[in-house]
Order: sequence, then structure tokens, then C-alpha cells
Amino acid sequence: MTDTPPTTGADGTRPDAAQQRAAVRERYSRIATESSSCCADTGSCRESSTASPTELGYSDADRDAVEGVTDLALGCGNPTGIASLDAGDAVLDLGSGGGFDCFLAAREVGPAGQVVGVDMTPEMVERARENAETSDAPNVEFRLGEIEHLPVADESVDVVLSNCVVNLSPDKPQVFREAFRVLRPGGRLAISDVVLTAELPADRRHDPASVAACVGGAASIPALESMLTDAGFVDVSIEPDADSEAFIREWDDERDLSDYLVAATIEGTKPATGTPQ
Amino acid sequence: MKEDLMDIICCPVDKHELELDVEERDDEEIMEGTLTCTECGEVYPIEDGIPNLLPPDMREEAPA
Repeated sequence: MTDTPPTTGADGTRPDAAQQRAAVRERYSRIATESSSCCADTGSCRESSTASPTELGYSDADRDAVEGVTDLALGCGNPTGIASLDAGDAVLDLGSGGGFDCFLAAREVGPAGQVVGVDMTPEMVERARENAETSDAPNVEFRLGEIEHLPVADESVDVVLSNCVVNLSPDKPQVFREAFRVLRPGGRLAISDVVLTAELPADRRHDPASVAACVGGAASIPALESMLTDAGFVDVSIEPDADSEAFIREWDDERDLSDYLVAATIEGTKPATGTPQ
Repeated sequence: MKEDLMDIICCPVDKHELELDVEERDDEEIMEGTLTCTECGEVYPIEDGIPNLLPPDMREEAPA
């Protein structure tokens, strides 16, 4: 299977978890400090030059609402759009980056709601905090944390969002277990991410830089489905977004990655029964 | 960070509650301080208003 988490690097074929994490941190710390367009060399989950917010499913109103923050929206979809948030919801964003999706979510949940973004890159959290100051979002908080070890209490949030981040994790099943743990019974997972549609060429799969660029670490739909089900989620749905081909094609100069990858919306629900509400 | 965030944060390692120790406050915002796990005793810093709740081994890799 191509989607076994790359946890061993001893044979030199796959980056190990530490290498993968280091590559991801290094890349996103650079993006955070160098502002908008960077790393055209290896492509990214989204650069402003290749996919507009509209292509990713954000409306003009979304963009206007968080003006000035879009430059750091490095995603592959619009998880806030698929999550159908309610006023008062507590929302957790895994890998919040510059905070774009958090600010959109904050607008949906209103003053009674709360949005928390977790990201493991200090420079990104710093940028997100600066963005929070300029975008008048009193109910958004950011903290440094790892999505495999969420610093969030059990059953404390209504919705877990994530935009093109889970593919970066060296231990995806653990990410889904953590998401399940922090969700309240009946809580929802709404993720946009890239998924594999065919086995990647070996050079892309084994390269930490390719993993950091949201390519090498992507998992297949059946693999993700079983990870979500194993974590306890029900009503699991993974829907590929055919329109994503246009921007994924731009991610790599040497080959058309849309032959291997597609952006998808990944949803699941924590069962409401069996646990006291 | 704001103090009401204490309701939903926890130790990333053992998921127990954290105890807040404020060193510097700016209105509602806690700018500097520490969060200490009530179970394992691990101390997590709050620097520039950002709680660093990375697991200890990752904080050593890249301090905030």
C-alpha cells in the first residue's frame, strides 16, 4: 500500500517522522516569514499565483471579510464552507497557518462561539496572531501545538476543521484519533485535503520536500476512510473535487500531479449516542 | 491568550488540566506566563501571547 505512514527511514526510502516534520516546519516557517508568494520551485498547497481563493471555493464575501489575510491561505479547499457552522459553535482548526479559515469560521460562529487554531510552526502562529489583531476577531485564539498531540481537552469542540494539512502528518491515524477525542458527541470533522488517486512516482514519495509540499504524504481515499472509521467516526464521506485538477496541475513543473492527486472534502461525525451529552 | 481559553486547553502529553501562572497581562490578554500540567508537572511557556503547547521533545527542536 502506498498510504502506510512513513514511519521508518532506516532503509532510506521514506522520510521518517522526524525528517518529515522538520521539512514541513522549515517550509512553512519560510512561507510565514517571507510573505505571500514563495517556493515556486516545488509548488505548494496553494500559492496565490496558481489558485485563486475563488478556485478553492471561497466566495468574494469570504475574501472581503478577512482582507489582508488571504496571502497566507495555503489550502486546497474551503473547509469552513463545508462545515456549515452554527452560531455559538466551538471550532478547532488543525494546522491553522496564517489563520484565514479561523477568521472565516469566527464570523460564522459569532461572539458566542470560539475558534482555536493549532499550528506547529512558531512563525505561522506569530503571523496568525498579527492577523488576528488587524482583522477584529476577538473570539479567535492561536497556539503552538502538534495535531498528533492536541493540547485540547476531551469533548470540548463542536467542529474540527483543517485545510490541506493532514496529508503533512507522519501519523494520520493519530490525528484522526485526536480529532475524535476533542469533539463533543455529535461533533463534526470537516477537512479539505489532497488525496492520492494513483501511486506517486518514487522520487516524489520519498522526498521530504515533496511531503512538505502536500504531495508525498497524501493518502488514498480507501486508506483515509479506514483511518476515520477506525478512529470512531460515522457518516464518513470523502468527495473528490474535480475542479481541483486545474490548480494541482500547476504544483510541479516537471510532471502533471493531477494524474496522482485530487483535492477532496473529508467529513465525518462523532456518534451522539453512548456518551453523556 | 485569553483566560477563558483555559476551559479547553490541556496538556498535550497526558491531556490533564493546566495551571496558569501569569507574568504579564495586557488587558484581557495574557502575554507572558506559564502553563503547568497538574498531573505530569511539565511547564509550557506563554510567550508574546502565544501558548507553546508543543510536546516537550518538539519544543527542544525549535523553541518558539
